Amino acid sequence: MVQLTIVLYKAYHQFSHLTIRLALGGCTKWPFYHIVASLNKCPKDGHFMEQLGSYHPVSNSYGKKLIALNLDQIWHCTGCGAHLSKPVEKFLGLSGYFPQHLTVVTNAERFSKTDTEATETRELTSVNIAVGIRLKSS
Amino acid sequence: MLRALSTLGARPLGRPPAQFLLLARGRKTRHDPPAKSKIGRVATPPAVDPAELFVLTERYRQYRQTVRALRKEFVTEVRRKVHEARAGVLAERKALQDAAEHRELMAWNKAENQRLHELRMARLRQEAREQERRQAEEAAREAGEAEAWAQLKKREVLQLQEDAKDFITRENLEARVEEALDSPKSYNWRRDRHTRGHSGLCLWASQIASSFLYVGTFVHLRYIPPGPQTQGRGHFQQ
Repeated sequence: MVQLTIVLYKAYHQFSHLTIRLALGGCTKWPFYHIVASLNKCPKDGHFMEQLGSYHPVSNSYGKKLIALNLDQIWHCTGCGAHLSKPVEKFLGLSGYFPQHLTVVTNAERFSKTDTEATETRELTSVNIAVGIRLKSS
Repeated sequence: MLRALSTLGARPLGRPPAQFLLLARGRKTRHDPPAKSKIGRVATPPAVDPAELFVLTERYRQYRQTVRALRKEFVTEVRRKVHEARAGVLAERKALQDAAEHRELMAWNKAENQRLHELRMARLRQEAREQERRQAEEAAREAGEAEAWAQLKKREVLQLQEDAKDFITRENLEARVEEALDSPKSYNWRRDRHTRGHSGLCLWASQIASSFLYVGTFVHLRYIPPGPQTQGRGHFQQ
């Protein structure tokens, strides 16, 4: 194990920033993501500062993919200078508190050019995402 | 950061350079030649629809503008919260409450210290009184003992003075000797298995008891004081 001196530590962490991203968990054939706030230098599934939600990519018995978001803490972390990864931006766009992410809109438009209207609605509604939002009661 | 970390690559002369890259199976480095199957390959970027590109550029600009505005809102919110926590109304009230609580605690601490101090002083006074009483008792006891010792010694001296009147001196030596010789008391003694070397008076009973086992000769010795006939020497004679 090597421990950096204060100078090297500051030089190393001067260019790292907080990131809100998905950390993979679960087991084989059953992925599960935690939405965490961690430094971008840390391993993506490793040490994190705070957990801000979760995402189940596998549909449950009702055919829903559940997403949980702690919006108060996400706003606080974003106010402290955290970056957002693309999946998190998409989730926030789906929740309605952020504008819809462009890749979602663009892909939908591209598909609509090749397929019929039914395919477009199926693409937009096939996600079947149920978003759970937690807000502080104040 | 690079400048700070560049010293890590510095190595002394004669040593091979530090290895920063690890070779992995199947990966090509920039120095490896391309494969034969890729000789005529021309890398072409994906086709771009100019209309879509224009629309996308505009949308991205709007999206990033919105997100930037939201981020600014969040930043101001955080700064406002920090400012309120540091210098807001609630913080001032809390500071006043903390100061009042601190004053109360200090006053209580002072009162407790005073009470304990008074208890301690009372205890010390009591101990001092106890100490004085013990010392007085000790002094009285020692005085009594000294008095008793003096009395004892005085009695001994008086007794000695009384006894001195009956001492044998040169003047009454002859008379005392004659008196001792004429007295029936015997100073002879002996030791055997039944006795422990008692003096003559006590030995009478044991002598009678043991006469059946041992028959001894009882000798009365007569002391002849020194004189001209005894050539200046005293001796015993049967």
